[in-house]
Amino acid sequence: MKDDYLWDKTGQPDPEIQKLEEILGTLRYEPRPFVLPRRRNYFPLLAIAASILLAIIAGSIWLRVRSGDEVPPQDAKLESPTPKPLEAPQPPRTGSALNPPLHASNRIHKPRSAPSVVNDEEALAAKEQLMLALRITTEKLSMVHRKTQPNQIKNQHRIG
Amino acid sequence: MKLLSIALLLMLTPVLSAKAQDSRIQMSSLDHLAAKASQTVDVNLDERLMRLAARVFDDKDTDEREVKKLVAGLKGIYVKSFEFDTEGQYTPGDLETIRTQLRGPGWTRLVNVTSKKDGMVEVYLLFNGDAVNGLAVLHTDDKELTVVNIVGPVDLDKLAKLEGQLGVPDLGIEPQKKTKNDDEK
Repeated sequence: MKDDYLWDKTGQPDPEIQKLEEILGTLRYEPRPFVLPRRRNYFPLLAIAASILLAIIAGSIWLRVRSGDEVPPQDAKLESPTPKPLEAPQPPRTGSALNPPLHASNRIHKPRSAPSVVNDEEALAAKEQLMLALRITTEKLSMVHRKTQPNQIKNQHRIG
Repeated sequence: MKLLSIALLLMLTPVLSAKAQDSRIQMSSLDHLAAKASQTVDVNLDERLMRLAARVFDDKDTDEREVKKLVAGLKGIYVKSFEFDTEGQYTPGDLETIRTQLRGPGWTRLVNVTSKKDGMVEVYLLFNGDAVNGLAVLHTDDKELTVVNIVGPVDLDKLAKLEGQLGVPDLGIEPQKKTKNDDEK
């Protein structure tokens, strides 16, 4: 018996070998296309999460920029929560809206919570600053008007 | 990735546009002058402080009511004023940092008055269409530098009405018509 069959499948095969071939043939390699297992598409969820994260970051940056522009908080004295006795009546108010008199008011201070008092003092400080700013603004505008007024007077004369 | 880019753009657009529409002038470049000045006024009132200040105005007082109405729509008032003992304490470069911003889109120089006695006063308005969305006043003298910036819809009528109530004489300022100064641009 020649052994060529074992090498190149030529010649007379041995029946035992043929039998073995049949048995082991079921385990023969069969080429199949490679298929990836299906995965869930997480991209939309990731995009939404990233958008929310970006919104939070952008919001915090914006708030930080805004708070950086603000005036640093001013020190405010806390009033005593105990009621004050009535003081002597004050003279009638003579200051204008933008030049408020600096005397204390004669109303009774009711006990208030600390944040409210701080807020009130901050509001009063802000009001003073506002008045000062408006005073400077109108002063400068008045200066402009004073310089441009002669033309108007000439015009009025012409009309008159 | 495209979706992410669009989302990023949508997120940042309001932030950027809000910043672009802001008529606030950055004056921090003038802060160094405080050390040289004999007197400094620095007012920084943002929208929150304006609202807070408006709360303590007395509605029964006519003058205060007028002021309250004026500042109701404003988003901020910022003033920096320096008075010096000697001349030449600020440089043209200091002024240029402010003027550069006032040459930006929307800003129009309404008035420019120069005199030997009072120096130079420039009044700028920020127009958004026909509406006035900001005011800036720049006053320069040999010994003084003042910058005023009002952010928000300025009502010149109401501002003019305040004259005489702010410790300055009533000079009868009337709101001026928009006269765009072409020399400025």
